Amino acid sequence: MSINRYLRHPFWQAILVLVIAYVLIEYGIPYLPPLIGISSAPVPQSVVLQYMLTVLAGVLIWVSDNEERWARFREPIRATLVDRDKRVLRIALLVIVPLLTGWLTFRAVRQTVAAPPSLRSIHPAPPSSITFRGQTMQLAGLENPLREGDLMAEAYRVGKRVYYQNCLPCHGDALSGDGHYAHGFTPAPLAFTGSSTIAQLTESFVFWRIAKGGPGLPREGTPWNSAMPAWEDILSEDEIWSVIVFLYEQAGVSPRTWEEAEGSGEH
Amino acid sequence: MSTKGFAIGVALSAFVAAAPAAAQETPVGKAIYDKWCAECHGEDGAGDGSAAAYMLPQPRDFTTGLYQIRTTPSGELPTDDDILRMIDEGMPGSAMPGWKEYLSDTERNDLVQYLKTFSPFFEDEAPSPVEYGGPPGVNEEGLAEGKEFYDKIECWKCHGQAGRGDGPSAPTLEDDWELPIRATDLTEGWNFNGGHTTEAIFARLMTGLNGAPMPSFADLIDAEFMTEEQLWRVAQYVKSLSPETPEVREVVRAALVETLPTSVDDPAWDAIERFYIPLVGQIIVEPRWFAPTVDGVWAQAAHDAQRVALRLTWNDPSESPNPEWEEWRQRVVSVMEPSVEATDELLSDALTVQFPTTIPEGMKRPYFLMGAQDEPVYLLSWNSGGGATEALGRGMNAIEPIGGASTLTTESTFDDGQWRLYLSRDLITESADRLAIETGRPIPMAIFAWDGSNGESGTQGAISTWYFLYLDQPTENITYAFPVVAVLLTAVLGLVIIARAQRATGGGGPEPGSD
Repeated sequence: MSINRYLRHPFWQAILVLVIAYVLIEYGIPYLPPLIGISSAPVPQSVVLQYMLTVLAGVLIWVSDNEERWARFREPIRATLVDRDKRVLRIALLVIVPLLTGWLTFRAVRQTVAAPPSLRSIHPAPPSSITFRGQTMQLAGLENPLREGDLMAEAYRVGKRVYYQNCLPCHGDALSGDGHYAHGFTPAPLAFTGSSTIAQLTESFVFWRIAKGGPGLPREGTPWNSAMPAWEDILSEDEIWSVIVFLYEQAGVSPRTWEEAEGSGEH
Repeated sequence: MSTKGFAIGVALSAFVAAAPAAAQETPVGKAIYDKWCAECHGEDGAGDGSAAAYMLPQPRDFTTGLYQIRTTPSGELPTDDDILRMIDEGMPGSAMPGWKEYLSDTERNDLVQYLKTFSPFFEDEAPSPVEYGGPPGVNEEGLAEGKEFYDKIECWKCHGQAGRGDGPSAPTLEDDWELPIRATDLTEGWNFNGGHTTEAIFARLMTGLNGAPMPSFADLIDAEFMTEEQLWRVAQYVKSLSPETPEVREVVRAALVETLPTSVDDPAWDAIERFYIPLVGQIIVEPRWFAPTVDGVWAQAAHDAQRVALRLTWNDPSESPNPEWEEWRQRVVSVMEPSVEATDELLSDALTVQFPTTIPEGMKRPYFLMGAQDEPVYLLSWNSGGGATEALGRGMNAIEPIGGASTLTTESTFDDGQWRLYLSRDLITESADRLAIETGRPIPMAIFAWDGSNGESGTQGAISTWYFLYLDQPTENITYAFPVVAVLLTAVLGLVIIARAQRATGGGGPEPGSD
């Protein structure tokens, strides 16, 4: 039988549509968009099942909406169930399908060991004010006092020293969250490069995160897991503002301004 | 932006001023160096940047022209490719990262030329790599011969009998800058500075590590003490000491067993799965510690529904307290904590396994760094000087033993640069402070380790964040019943469908060949 005869047969067309749909959902969605620069993620198993059931329903409606097609669609199925010359295939399916069901059932009910999910907010909502070494600081509208004219070069220099003496082991030489201690900590240290971390944050937010560290996170930030120290115990206010200048300069990104934050609503 | 402009300006003027023949100071090379390298390696390449005191091994001093990882003979300068390789791949086991994915080819090549400007030695003609043949095939006799020569050429003097960096000379080692330097633990290939392929190990044996006590063994071949093939055997033997880089998994699984292992070297442990938990220095609260000895612990666990047993295995070249390592401790403390006077008191080794006081219901747990004042953690604290105790931690400096009867038993043993610790207790105890251990639930667990001979105690040691201990539940019979029922149901359904289809078409359908 030529390949063309298979392709014109409604049964094999239905199978082909299902296979293509599965490949697209399972592999196409996570891997194709990145090829043209759009980020993507694997589709959860429950959603895959839902998509596949939808495709199956569509296929069944299509094959059954015309009497002749429906009859042709059923023919290979009927032949497998009935024909004497399909006896071996029939018995093989009668053994393989139940065993497969048994294995899938066993996989679903057996004891599995997984760490409990740790859902955490990457950029938790900051408080409106913090107490830094006994002084109250309003975070809303707070600007980096060192980001002014001729203070910048010195702030970068001081910030660089502060970073290398304190932040480097976790956040890394290239500011990409992969320092030589990074593998020891879960959650992993943050990268500062790219558009998803400090580039989305105002400098006052970054000041709050550095000053209060892991222990100062709100509950949704899982403060009990974070290895980020509360740097107010170790660094001065000027050192923290300096290291913030250094972070943005070295990573080549700009802080979010208060105008942007108000325009789109701080999150 | 202004800083970058300034850096390029300086680079340009320097470029115009002088350009030696062998080493070229290019504007790109200097700008890259100043931006990414200078804070550790120093503005003038002397390895004295502001971060140098916060790491051990310390950053390379480029002014001497001494480079460890080379293809050139012992004592010679590296080739440009050697320097590029170190920049590309970094130096595993140290703070030096690989830069290949962060800097462009041009940037890294210009950097190589710029690094050479720091040392006048690079004005000499470039040396060429040592030439040698390929490795012989690996086999049992070859490995035995490798071990034989490992002993003959005295690798064990520094690296130890089992290769764990615990040889008799290990405590005395220092590099050319008089800094304490570890004899590499040959069982942890993933920390080898120059990589851990057999070829890389052979290259280190042939060329030595300039600036470090590791010599070249090429002269033993020249003197016909051994053949090149025999040196390859040593490389193959060393490679065989190092298993694959361990995979880190979040959950340590405690197998349900009939009879619990009763001692630290009970052969029953051989059948229990091992889980690797990496540790790093405690750099979160003061005083911090940037030079920890212990970089990982292998954890094994088992239970018999009444008691749980843990075996923890980790490498530490010194069994502390240990007078032979006193000099090492004094030197490490003087480098890492120059402002602190090292005490005369000999320190012990220690290891603590941390749990919450109750298994948490939701996500919330106590603070991973030994708990907090309002939320304590439950600790199994072992010390080489005094056995193990159960304790409550309310912060790193607030640890108190739990009173009352304890069901904890312990045993520890040290040999060839390795500690093995056995801890066992009842799952359920009378006391409310002692975690009630349940099966079938992930229990947060963290590990802390201290090497007394490295000056470690208190907040200065190695730590992990939270992992989990999971005690297997007995598999209930119903777990096996479900798949059997599923198989039967599917089979019956299949038979019914076939029978109905056959009846509908009037029996067995057409005979083959009857048409």
